[in-house]
Amino acid sequence: MNEQAPLESRVITVTSGKGGVGKTTLTANVGTALAQLGRKVVVVDGDIGLRNLDLVMGLEHRIVYDIVDYVEGRCRLRQALIRDKRAPELFLLPAAQTRDKTAINPQQMVLVCDELRQEFEFILIDSPAGIEQGFQNALAPADVVLVVINPEVSSVRDADRVIGLAESQGKQQIYLVINRVVPVRVKKQEMLSVDDITEVLSTEIIGIVPEDEAILSASNRGTPVVCNGKGPAALAYRDIARRLNGEQVPLEAPQSLGWLQRLFGR
Amino acid sequence: MIAIKGYRHGLLIVFNGASETPWLSHLRELEAKLDANPHFFRGSSVAFDVKDAMLNEDDLRHAIDVLRTREVKLWAVFSQNAETCAHVRSLGLTDRLPGVSTARRTSEQPAPPREAARHGEPSSSEGGESLFVRRRIRSGQVLRHPGHIVVVGDVNPGAQIIAGGDIIVWGRLNGAVHAGALGNSQAVVCALEMSPTCVRIAEAVYIPRSVDRRRRRKRAAEMAMLKEQEIIITSWDVLAYKTRFEGQ
Repeated sequence: MNEQAPLESRVITVTSGKGGVGKTTLTANVGTALAQLGRKVVVVDGDIGLRNLDLVMGLEHRIVYDIVDYVEGRCRLRQALIRDKRAPELFLLPAAQTRDKTAINPQQMVLVCDELRQEFEFILIDSPAGIEQGFQNALAPADVVLVVINPEVSSVRDADRVIGLAESQGKQQIYLVINRVVPVRVKKQEMLSVDDITEVLSTEIIGIVPEDEAILSASNRGTPVVCNGKGPAALAYRDIARRLNGEQVPLEAPQSLGWLQRLFGR
Repeated sequence: MIAIKGYRHGLLIVFNGASETPWLSHLRELEAKLDANPHFFRGSSVAFDVKDAMLNEDDLRHAIDVLRTREVKLWAVFSQNAETCAHVRSLGLTDRLPGVSTARRTSEQPAPPREAARHGEPSSSEGGESLFVRRRIRSGQVLRHPGHIVVVGDVNPGAQIIAGGDIIVWGRLNGAVHAGALGNSQAVVCALEMSPTCVRIAEAVYIPRSVDRRRRRKRAAEMAMLKEQEIIITSWDVLAYKTRFEGQ
């Protein structure tokens, strides 16, 4: 895998407006999957004061310095980066837990990312919920904006707001990830369908992630599902990573499993 | 004489003859204008064009206070008077139009209001200026213009359109609109698919029942207008327009 040509580095900001839709899980999994594809990846926790990404990746015990320490000059960038041994080139830049979003401003975030660009091909930023400074920090350096939504109206409404803000900042590459889709409930019209969502947001979809029980236990264990999972969510995250890596992977709406698959599947 | 204009970056308030008349009387006129049309101005960011008037920092602060109590923000003051411009800058406001080649906007100076980003250039037409916008208006975005507004594209829920004149949407209207927001009760709202969260025309308000909005809408184009102080919605066709504008 390592013989692939190096990519020009890209900053990918994962955001949503609404909280709890799966930004952090997506960042951890897509970051890990990209590293498994042989890319040099750093995931950055943009949620200063409420950090989570370290937990989901199982790296919380290894934090010595964080992004605020670096910005305020208490350490070098290298010292703040934590290596994740599950992939050849995967690092975490953790957020500070004791500070708040105002500890860093958008210009500083751009500078941090410019430095990370020297070493990494993919810089994934996990944005906090909301549209305040934490979001502005995460958005400022973005080349690509991934907007995560759940198939329900309030999430779509918030995503619409976030897409509007990203557009007004001149962001051109904005993609949608529809997370936690339950095909049966879409069929019953309890959840919005892909068409319903496209009608409002008219934004290109880069991934559709089915609801998967494996996510919860994986997050609690601190092992992203892409590490060894073969479940539907792990497959969907890997597909997103491959699309970001420039591969052509056809996008399919998840089908409801047949009874045989449900019996023997996963 | 105060004139309200729409331009690339939103609303512009032009003070004609500001150097001849005392600034206080201009501010009084501004106050009256703001109070007469609170719905139009509330929440907006405006720029002043004070021509060659000589204004000091206290004059400007006074203006900012007048606006602030009405929830209007001043972000720029344009003037041909160099001293006025210097005072404008020392208050942290902008004195040049962004995008003009001579202007070098430093990062300390405020950027044009975000709601106005990517506005089109208003074009003049019969009965004043119109704003033509060819894109989807998303949640949280606001289009505000003293003339007519034409949108080619959908207006999403959570978006807002406020016009002094008519509002024409060639697409789905799912947001909130206010036509005739400067008091024109003749203004109309037209859309290919009329399912707004709220329609205002001049002083009148109409809130469709929520079933209306949810109904899977395979309806024809519709027009909202004022009839005996109430907003009614009719089909938007040649006949409707004829009866409206050429008399019965």
